[in-house]
Amino acid sequence: MLDNFYRYVVLNAGLLGQGLLVTLQVCVQAFVLGVVLAIAVSLLRVTGRIPRAIGTAYVEFFRATPVLVQLLWVNYVWPDLFGFPTTAMGAGVIALALQTSAYLAETIRAGIEGLPRGQLEAGRAVGMSSLQIVRRIVAPQVALVMAPALISQMAVVIKSSTLVSVIAIPDLMYAALKIVNEWFEPIEVLTSTAFLYFLLIFLISLAANRISDRFRARFGLAV
Amino acid sequence: MTDPPATPALSVRNLHKSFGPLEVLRGISLDIAQGAVVTLIGASGSGKSTFLRCLNHLEQPTSGEIYVDGVPITDDIAGLRARLGMVFQQFNLWPHMTVLGNVIEAPLRVKRMPRPEAVALGRRFLAKVNLLDKQDEYPARLSGGQQQRVAIARALAMEPKVMLFDEATSSLDPELTNEVLAVMRDLARDGTTMVVVTHEMAFAREVSDRVVFLHMGQVEEDGPPAQVFGAPVSPRCRQFLSSVRA
Ligand SMILES: Nc1ncnc2c1ncn2[C@@H]1O[C@H](COP(=O)(O)OP(=O)(O)OP(=O)(O)O)[C@@H](O)[C@H]1O
Ligand SMILES: [Mg+2]
Repeated sequence: MLDNFYRYVVLNAGLLGQGLLVTLQVCVQAFVLGVVLAIAVSLLRVTGRIPRAIGTAYVEFFRATPVLVQLLWVNYVWPDLFGFPTTAMGAGVIALALQTSAYLAETIRAGIEGLPRGQLEAGRAVGMSSLQIVRRIVAPQVALVMAPALISQMAVVIKSSTLVSVIAIPDLMYAALKIVNEWFEPIEVLTSTAFLYFLLIFLISLAANRISDRFRARFGLAV
Repeated sequence: MTDPPATPALSVRNLHKSFGPLEVLRGISLDIAQGAVVTLIGASGSGKSTFLRCLNHLEQPTSGEIYVDGVPITDDIAGLRARLGMVFQQFNLWPHMTVLGNVIEAPLRVKRMPRPEAVALGRRFLAKVNLLDKQDEYPARLSGGQQQRVAIARALAMEPKVMLFDEATSSLDPELTNEVLAVMRDLARDGTTMVVVTHEMAFAREVSDRVVFLHMGQVEEDGPPAQVFGAPVSPRCRQFLSSVRA
């Protein structure tokens, strides 16, 4: 067992490590793009009747389609349809970002709706513009109430990212499967992989929770 | 008063406001003199809050004119709001900003005042409401009375022509209302022009120059406190006063 661990995991640490880096790369990019798209969709949804309908359709569509389908769709159909993405990496990032943005846009909407009306009125009453109110009053408070949702969405992105191996992105899952398929010894490799994913999600959530708690404590809000 | 200033600080002409079929304000006209303290009283639902909110266009009036310092308000709504300070029943402080941050936000962003100047100004108004020592605290750590005093400082920091108070003490515990009323008394003594919606009849009687009784969206009684409280002309006003005293 230790022997196997050494032979299949330790000796392949470089391969797994590289896979882990690719996983991080995909996840960070997908998450950042997802947040940007979510903000864009949320702004769309407060702009007017037709933009709102488009934004809502977007949210509903991407929440109700499986990630795997989106991944394949973006990777194989988008290049013909829109001329991009040109790499598997790009397709993986976009597909994960689409899904994430749909969930986050919903959370942003709930966050905005949960904000007491008086918060905005206090801004209007001193003569602030709509843009100033959004930037200075709405966004920071929504970000704070969204923190738990953001953190759990980070975990979802990392978990969903294991699927990008099907479009040949050499992420951690891909590296693990490659070793397994070479030696037909899944026990140590897959167990280690599971543990690595757990560690990644656990540590990121821990750090993010710390940051969010620190802000809440600073503002004197319940942690 | 001998020689009253020619232009009122605030003039309202024939203000109407409807919510759908519900006509809440039915033609209100008022002139508020510079430095006057006017309290607005009336039964729940008579339109007091709606009137104040129409003054700074938090509600869009259905019709009527508003003049600040003789200048009609047409389309510069943000400019109008910057010249009318508003204090809400629920304080509405921004929880993610410090006390000082709340106070200097509008001078910084709306007036584009340089930060050192805004800080000096903010501290001056925090001193005025006796909260200079709390400038770096966040609102959640303050008592209700302290929060409302910060909200007053925040409104004052824009150096408005008129301060509007909508039941500023109604969501406070009785032992906290006095510190807020004391600040409002100070402002009145300093010559701040104020329109105060309140259920504090003692405050209305002692502090205001003029009491306006609203009934179903109209001015039903309007006069100095001695007259309105002592010998109201309107039977409805008399009835209202006896109901709040009881
Ligand atoms: N946004 C709104 N939409 C519909 N009706 C409204 C709205 N705001 C106020 N009203 C109605 O207008 C009437 C006057 O309300 P307003 O809040 O001005 O009364 P008020 O005199 O301030 O009462 P209170 O003493 O209870 O604060 C009420 O019947 C109220 O239901
Ligand atoms: Mg009211």
